[in-house]
Amino acid sequence: MNSEPIIPWSITPEEEALAGDCLSRALACGADGVRITLNKSLMDLILLRNGSMDKVTHSGDRSMTFCLFVGGRFGTFSTNRFEADELERFLTEAVATTRMLAPDSWRKLPEPSRLVHDAVTGRELGLCDPAYAAMTPEERIRLVREASCFERIRPEGYTLISEETEYSDSVSDLLILDSNGLHARHTETSFELGCEYTIADPDGHKISGYWWDSAPMRADLQTASVCPTALERALAQMGSDQVPGGKYTVVVENEVASKLLNPLLGALSGYSLQQNNSFLTDSLGKKVFCEGFTLRDIPRTTGANGTRYFDSEGVATRNTDIITGGVVRNYFLNTYIAGKMGLDPTQEDCFKPLVMPWWSFGPQPAQMGREEILSACGEGILVTGFNGGNCNSATGDFSYGIEGFAFKDGERRPVHGMVMTGNMIHLWNNLIAAGTDIRPCMNKQVPTLAFKDIDFSA
Amino acid sequence: MIYSSTYYTDLFGVDVPTMEQIIATALGHGGDYADLFFERTVSRNLLLRDSEVSSGGAHVDYGVGIRVLKGDKTGYAYSESTRLPDMLAAARAASAIAQGVPPTEPRPTVSFRGMPNPAADRYPMQKDWRDCPMDTFPPLLQDLEARIRRRDERVMKVIAMLTSQVSDVLMFNVQGELKYDTRPMGTLAVSVIYGQGKNIQNNHVSRSFRCGAEMLGDALLDELADEAVRGITNRLEARRPKGGKMPVVMGAGASGILLHEAMGHAFEADFNRKGQSIFSDRMGTRVCREGITIVDDATLPGNRGSLNFDDEGVPGQRTCMVEDGILTSFLHDRLSAAHYGVKPTGNGRRESFRFNPIPRMRATYMESGDARPEDLIAAVKKGIYVDEFANGQVKIGEGDFTFYVKSGFLIEDGRLTRPVTDINIIGNGPQALADIQAVGNDGKVDPGAWTCGKEQQVPVSCGIPTVLVRELTVGGE
Repeated sequence: MNSEPIIPWSITPEEEALAGDCLSRALACGADGVRITLNKSLMDLILLRNGSMDKVTHSGDRSMTFCLFVGGRFGTFSTNRFEADELERFLTEAVATTRMLAPDSWRKLPEPSRLVHDAVTGRELGLCDPAYAAMTPEERIRLVREASCFERIRPEGYTLISEETEYSDSVSDLLILDSNGLHARHTETSFELGCEYTIADPDGHKISGYWWDSAPMRADLQTASVCPTALERALAQMGSDQVPGGKYTVVVENEVASKLLNPLLGALSGYSLQQNNSFLTDSLGKKVFCEGFTLRDIPRTTGANGTRYFDSEGVATRNTDIITGGVVRNYFLNTYIAGKMGLDPTQEDCFKPLVMPWWSFGPQPAQMGREEILSACGEGILVTGFNGGNCNSATGDFSYGIEGFAFKDGERRPVHGMVMTGNMIHLWNNLIAAGTDIRPCMNKQVPTLAFKDIDFSA
Repeated sequence: MIYSSTYYTDLFGVDVPTMEQIIATALGHGGDYADLFFERTVSRNLLLRDSEVSSGGAHVDYGVGIRVLKGDKTGYAYSESTRLPDMLAAARAASAIAQGVPPTEPRPTVSFRGMPNPAADRYPMQKDWRDCPMDTFPPLLQDLEARIRRRDERVMKVIAMLTSQVSDVLMFNVQGELKYDTRPMGTLAVSVIYGQGKNIQNNHVSRSFRCGAEMLGDALLDELADEAVRGITNRLEARRPKGGKMPVVMGAGASGILLHEAMGHAFEADFNRKGQSIFSDRMGTRVCREGITIVDDATLPGNRGSLNFDDEGVPGQRTCMVEDGILTSFLHDRLSAAHYGVKPTGNGRRESFRFNPIPRMRATYMESGDARPEDLIAAVKKGIYVDEFANGQVKIGEGDFTFYVKSGFLIEDGRLTRPVTDINIIGNGPQALADIQAVGNDGKVDPGAWTCGKEQQVPVSCGIPTVLVRELTVGGE
């Protein structure tokens, strides 16, 4: 007998059977191949403003998405109406609509040998907390009230304008089936706490500070430190100014460093590469970045945020080298794009990127956090937040607004209103340190990073 | 588009007594106000890639959102089914906000009874997207690609996407107000990749309107094709300028995104109600020079941001935020209007029934001034002219904004000289507003597919005349 508690709002046997019926129905309507994804999610959220309840929401969603392959043609359809007559009408129209599209010989279901086989219950990755079933409205309120510091704060030298503390928990349950025999499931729970302070300095200038934590398991959620850290981050920005423009060593804090990784992941995506809209076109097997830059994808890490046993095609994920010693080792290619590019398919996305530690200053210390990196760099700009900006996907040229601190020999002063510009390939060739201080709550495992000779304007 | 009330009540399988029962359940633990928002949205899309329309689909979203207000507090829940037991369960979840919350003084509520005159319908559909066979559209996307390629042989790839969406909505509240609306949206967007040797660049353009499939015609295809290839030579030659502080001239139309991000958000009443906006304590004061008027407008026919009613049943209207340089109104939903003791301005909007409404912009623009655009450029010795912004962001409390300049020119001795690209412009919203030195006579609302992402995604528009700002920081080499 299974003693695990039933997670509310998870996919029922009846809904699973309905998805199977829809698959048969689509084939009967004339589809040659079908993939069905059934998604359900439930979320509860409580927001306290200045220690008092401001908002409660309760959200339950479900939807079914159909990828139809009809006579060499392909269409994607979705609905959240699960009534049998609605679904039958919807599927009949969907197959007919797909017939109107142009044939595309590269559209096909993945080979059965590539499909996932070890995601049967949805809980194999250890992302579903049985404690979720015991969460009650009272417990949620207790949790967020305990986390809030509003009643305990005694402002000195600043005015506290508002504290907003938000707690949410959710469960998402996904079932994927296809007409080649795919049958896989992924279930995960999430617990999240965030806090934002708005304060005013003695001159009335408003400053905000934010911090958060998230975990698949309730017991791993760090609740006590979130609000104090948010306030600390707001206070640290008081009196910020600009420093003269020029070339600086830049240290980018782990909280925001993934912003600099995202353009690389986009450039390695098959859709960008196939459309010549990537600054990493023809880079496979070539040394594009510096020796110290190594990036892995670790989607099969048990119990970690963002991990997956399969992608949206149901293809089994693998722990993979993406970039090693500056050499590009992997593109992200689904069945369709791989066919068009004449390459072997991989998986369609990078689910759990991990930037490996790197230290260019001599013997690598055991601990390489923000403070160790700042100390090794000596002088430069510490980035703790990005404010807007963009990266040109075709060229890799970027320009980002930043906030943070100018640092020199252990001293630091807050800066804002500055712009960091450059090119992604140049930036990652100038990597001088990648720390070990990865935040477990983040899907992208990017530690504090340091780069030399980066242009700043002010 | 507005059909008869039975079209909507039949669609959602409800009647007034049923809706009253749900409202009563939502207010079962107290509360000042409750409302229901029923929605059925049908969207369809077609994608042209590698010269074939080989991908497309359709999507249906259906449900009802239930909201309870008690003072400034919000309880919200929704159901994807309109079976009575499911709706009552959602109503009970939303009612939780009133539990354990101390009683508040009842606030006056504002009623908007009756329908708008159908003649004022801002988005009638001549060709309902839902009635158009999908096979009507692939030839049109291929025609668009052909027009683009005919215009410039440096175009290497074209991706074109046609998206249509039609939402039927029905709203009912504790005051017995029943409102209904059918909101169409058609969007045609195209991305081109072009190059010369190893120099590869991209460009993205779009047109989006609240109307039916009648929007698709030769004129629209030519307009998009022209814009897709406009300035290719300049973009291929564009370089980053040297950075620093300098005057900036913003081109008419799409530069209005800066107005939306850097000023418009700070005028939204929820940020001000909480004291978080940099404009919180500036109502009635001068925020920029005389002659400058900034408007948020739901009444432009067929505009992407227009609404017959907002998502709380308040009639769509034109709201003057800044009049002749004076801050005259924030943008209100019902909640913030009650907080401030003013009438809602029809800005209560939501992404779908899954979200509670909050103050949001619609079509936000600055009205024309009296300067000639060429005179604004001529007045600058050394600065930047911005053609097109992208990816703006603002910090509401601090007022600091950053905008990415997709294309523009260096201004030297009053003339546009070298093309520039891939730089950021940063500044402070109130300061930039105060630093506007002249406003052109060429005000224009941009017809692109702008979407605002404050907590939820909603369609908006933006516009501005050519404007000269005394000094902003330009990020460069």
